Amino acid sequence: MPEIRLEDVVKTFEGGVVAVNHLDLNVKDGEYMCLLGPTGAGKTTVLKMICGLVCPDSGKVLLDGKNISNIPISRRGTALMSQNYALFPKMTVYENVMFSPSIKNWDPADAKTLVRSMIEMVHMGPKVDNMPHEMSGGQMQRTALARALASNSRVLLLDEPLRALDARLRLEIRKEIKSMVKDMDLTSVHVTHDQEEAMEIADRIAVIRKGRIIQVGTPMDIFCNPKTPFVANFVGRSNVFTGKLVSSSEESSEILLDSGHKVLARSTDLSPGTDVAVAVKIGYVISKIHKEGESLPEWYMEGTVSRVLYEGGTITIELDVKGLGIVTCRRSSKRYDDYKKGKKVSVIWVPSKAVVFSIPECGLEEELRLD
Amino acid sequence: MARIDLEHVSMKFGDFYAVNNINLTIEDGEYVTILGPSGCGKTTLIKTVSGILRPTEGKVLFDGRDVTDVPLEDRDNAYVFQNIALFSNMTNRENAEYSPRVHDIPIPEKRKVAEKYLELVDMLSRAEMFPQELSGGEQQKVAIARALSSGSKTLMLDEPLSALDARVRMELRYEIRRLVKELGITVLHVTHDQEEAMSVSDKIVLMKSGKVHDTASPRDMYDNPKSIFAAYFIGDTNLLEGFIYGRTKKGYTVVHLRGGPFVKAEISNLKQGSPVVISVRPENVHVATDGLGAEVKAKAFLGAYWSIRVLADTGDYINYNISDNFDTPEIGDRVMLVFNKKRTKVFKRPENGLEEAIKLE
Repeated sequence: MPEIRLEDVVKTFEGGVVAVNHLDLNVKDGEYMCLLGPTGAGKTTVLKMICGLVCPDSGKVLLDGKNISNIPISRRGTALMSQNYALFPKMTVYENVMFSPSIKNWDPADAKTLVRSMIEMVHMGPKVDNMPHEMSGGQMQRTALARALASNSRVLLLDEPLRALDARLRLEIRKEIKSMVKDMDLTSVHVTHDQEEAMEIADRIAVIRKGRIIQVGTPMDIFCNPKTPFVANFVGRSNVFTGKLVSSSEESSEILLDSGHKVLARSTDLSPGTDVAVAVKIGYVISKIHKEGESLPEWYMEGTVSRVLYEGGTITIELDVKGLGIVTCRRSSKRYDDYKKGKKVSVIWVPSKAVVFSIPECGLEEELRLD
Repeated sequence: MARIDLEHVSMKFGDFYAVNNINLTIEDGEYVTILGPSGCGKTTLIKTVSGILRPTEGKVLFDGRDVTDVPLEDRDNAYVFQNIALFSNMTNRENAEYSPRVHDIPIPEKRKVAEKYLELVDMLSRAEMFPQELSGGEQQKVAIARALSSGSKTLMLDEPLSALDARVRMELRYEIRRLVKELGITVLHVTHDQEEAMSVSDKIVLMKSGKVHDTASPRDMYDNPKSIFAAYFIGDTNLLEGFIYGRTKKGYTVVHLRGGPFVKAEISNLKQGSPVVISVRPENVHVATDGLGAEVKAKAFLGAYWSIRVLADTGDYINYNISDNFDTPEIGDRVMLVFNKKRTKVFKRPENGLEEAIKLE
């Protein structure tokens, strides 16, 4: 029953760098948790505190309710796949993956079946006899992943496990890794900077920034109900506008943007007159080509198509709205031919899809920084 | 003018052809991306174009002039590396001034040039800082400014975004395209990331095993790939094996899938009974009241839409998307799927099998 709890942990490194700053996190038994955040957010340090490679300055690390802060790595029963793979250089792929089963004296037949299936899952079957120096970065990473999975630990800690892989292979392995881990009934913490990866794999996502957890929730919750403007823009791109809150009712709120546009958004507890930021995911911006005689909604903004980017299944359209600047919108690529540069469109969204925030203390620009 | 031509370019290491007989034209002002899996020879190719490597066979021409034997430093060519490689003992301004300095441009002018490019990448406000005080994405912007401040009309981008966070990568690719189009620069960009290739390029050159596998605009390659490998590599797709059963009155192909079900696909001239592979992208698979039966195995919310993974009665896994405005099925539910027939591609089944055709290494 591995349940992981971090309580008010702090870690400061030499030179006074605060890597982890009074952080709380609870990973439930059997849960697949993604720790998502930009480079330097403290993700790896959190992982190392769970497995015992780093001791917190203060606070507690609990496994199944037991304080393990002072228990050595070897007795924690966690498997870490580190960013630099740490494969045994003098062992083949097979021997590397077999390492854990063999030192733990498992039944050789069982061990062999397990090791083979792990190697197949990471597409390393054809390279099973290769040595680490004969492999590409991606192949080493896949071997390390198979080795971690084959260790029979109940807690699996993955530090950017897909980072060195080609984009296409990453898509494939992303789909397989979760079902594998679920079948093995592991509690997992997976560190990543890639929000799409986190959305696809995680049961819950913990968004981390500057050593603190900002929000924990299901992928849908994090995407639809972001707690801060940063989360709104980091997990799926958002358009963020500033303005003053005019009023808010049960159904929606009304905001007067600095550009002079009046827009509707989700209702909010903030009081009228507050300076606010409104965030709308690019996929939720509706842009319609003007048609003669068509009635337009009560409020909308007029935009001009300034650039269309083809992205395969989707297109990203940049719309120039007078006074406001660029509003970005994402649509199915089947609409590609509708959007010619210079075309006039109306820009609008469903009010409940736009989230209202008070302006953060650090300023909006600092808040929205991605790295 | 800055046009690049490659004529029968090969690069041999020992007995191994890393790059094998490549012919390619990059028009003046065109943005061309070389896309391919690890080990396909794409990095070797960009190195031969830029002069870091001399091709063992063939010619590289810049504006019709043979530069195959012209050393790197005498070619007018800007280069940006994956690992950023800024001078850490110089400020960002000094970094950006580096190329003009090497080109012996007078000091006041050198400053102006550097500032112009730093401004273009929105880094002028950080000109007096050192690279290590910037984030990875900002450093790469300074590196691009440094490369462009040489005044070169051709830019080589060697996996310029691979070392950056995913979210930063997304912003920066839009930025790079805007910048080079504004300046009218000819670009050769190397990447393994198909999404990146699609959103920045005018033309994609898909490489496999040292050879050009396919060349097309992003849209053509995504909508009308000429091979199974191209269909698979350029984006998510479902590949299903079957046989040609016949044709509808309007000429659409009817394919008999493994295990019995029939589906309609694009118009093709393959003969009845031919073994085929069909490719249909997740956004072209829809739930209907009749069609290919399947059981829901997994679902993931991917932001504005759900990705549903099902096990079809043919024994294949199929992925499809539904907008988050609609209800999603539960795991274990039975669903019926239909494919958008115009967007279902039909390919002859490869002789060495499907697995071999889509192998990434």
